[in-house]
Amino acid sequence: MLSMMGGCLSGLLSKEERRSVTLLTVGLDNAGKTSTIKVVSGENPEGVAATVGFSSQEFKIGRYDITTLDLGGGKNIRGIWPRYYAEAHGSVFVVDASDRDRFDEARTMLEDFLGDPRISGKPVLVLANKQDVEGAADENDVCSVLYLEQMVNKYRCPCKIELSSTAAGFGKKVDPNISTGFRWLLDQIGKDFSHLSVRIEKDLEEQKEKDEKEKKERRERVARAREERRRKE
Amino acid sequence: MGLLALLRKLKSNPEKELKILLLGLDNAGKTTLLKHLASEDISHITPTQGFNIKSVQSSGFRLNVWDIGGQRKIRPYWKNYFENIDILIYVIDSADRKRFEETGEELAELLEEDKLAGVPMLIFANKQDLFNAAAASEISEGLGLGSIRRTWQIQACSAMSGEGVEEGMKWVIQTVSKK
Ligand SMILES: Nc1nc2c(ncn2[C@@H]2O[C@H](COP(=O)(O)OP(=O)(O)OP(=O)(O)O)[C@@H](O)[C@H]2O)c(=O)[nH]1
Ligand SMILES: Nc1nc2c(ncn2[C@@H]2O[C@H](COP(=O)(O)OP(=O)(O)OP(=O)(O)O)[C@@H](O)[C@H]2O)c(=O)[nH]1
Ligand SMILES: [Mg+2]
Ligand SMILES: [Mg+2]
Repeated sequence: MLSMMGGCLSGLLSKEERRSVTLLTVGLDNAGKTSTIKVVSGENPEGVAATVGFSSQEFKIGRYDITTLDLGGGKNIRGIWPRYYAEAHGSVFVVDASDRDRFDEARTMLEDFLGDPRISGKPVLVLANKQDVEGAADENDVCSVLYLEQMVNKYRCPCKIELSSTAAGFGKKVDPNISTGFRWLLDQIGKDFSHLSVRIEKDLEEQKEKDEKEKKERRERVARAREERRRKE
Repeated sequence: MGLLALLRKLKSNPEKELKILLLGLDNAGKTTLLKHLASEDISHITPTQGFNIKSVQSSGFRLNVWDIGGQRKIRPYWKNYFENIDILIYVIDSADRKRFEETGEELAELLEEDKLAGVPMLIFANKQDLFNAAAASEISEGLGLGSIRRTWQIQACSAMSGEGVEEGMKWVIQTVSKK
């Protein structure tokens, strides 16, 4: 009893209560999402392959236990993204600042993303990546080509943009701008944590209901199709 | 980094054995894929009644690949093979749209298995050489892949021509070597 109370008390007194947060990485294919996750979580990004699916990674920063959901950005696979929106506390939007030909495509993607009701209002860190490449667009350029200000105002998303390069190194050698960006994102989430958690719980509940309904319908359709095939045979 | 470089790098990890399970509906192309991996003749393949197993050496790795028959009457036996799986490879006939829902349903049931919990999954969208093959996007939607929470990747391939197979296996090795 005593020890339990002790635990309770220290929980109340400690400002450093641990928190589990889920972050989403989004952006066009080849932007550097997987590389970014690798460098912040202390892994060598060398040899990353294009993500044509989903992968998650767990690591800690300060008092945060982070789970990142890394999704493929290619045209063929973007369609799956919305299925992962409900559980995100915040997101990292990565844009290849050296690939000016694709800025328009990136803007359209960002708008679709922030406009989703499960994402609007949640904090987003924008990384203008590949700054090590000569001619990469700077902060101002990226902001203006993405209509970043208008967009985050419209969808009420707390937002910060950082120039980044995953080529700088990983773990302790990670680009300081990436660390600053992540720390900002986590602070934003921390400030709004209880509100975000309620929202996530509600959205997840809704999604679960939808999933279960779809699953049931599919099960019925499959059974019918099987039956039909059997009759024909 | 090419596959060879990757494999060479992993050589320092001598003879790590991996158990890989190949599953999917009948006629998906699992056995063809297995034979392709083992560099065997693929011209006379018949439906698998039980299972085939092949051991493929890849500098420093021994991939023990289990190919189980996918006919409906055999599917209940799939679960006899779920012990200690490192990677699940699920094979789909990308041209057989009529059965996307059925294969999605089988997959959903598989993913609920405790013994396969958290096992990373590669989906081979096979038979891409056929003119009416569905693209990866159509398959991921048709199969409802978006609800999967484990690491997964979809790779278009043709077990017949071998296109895409190496890329998929590269992902497999990269994924397990991370663990
Ligand atoms: N020069 C440079 N190259 C980078 C940087 N970040 C990533 N890259 C390279 O860009 C390519 C794509 O990186 P990924 O991390 O796979 O990109 P992604 O956004 O995950 O792409 P998808 O998985 O296809 O959506 C790789 O060849 C990386 O090595 C960077 O900061 N500078
Ligand atoms: N066009 C084309 N045909 C393929 C391909 N892969 C397999 N096939 C054909 O599809 C048929 C079924 O292939 P199998 O390898 O026996 O399929 P399986 O998944 O092992 O089937 P079961 O053993 O019954 O579960 C065979 O006629 C193969 O030649 C491919 O990539 N392209
Ligand atoms: Mg990626
Ligand atoms: Mg077979």
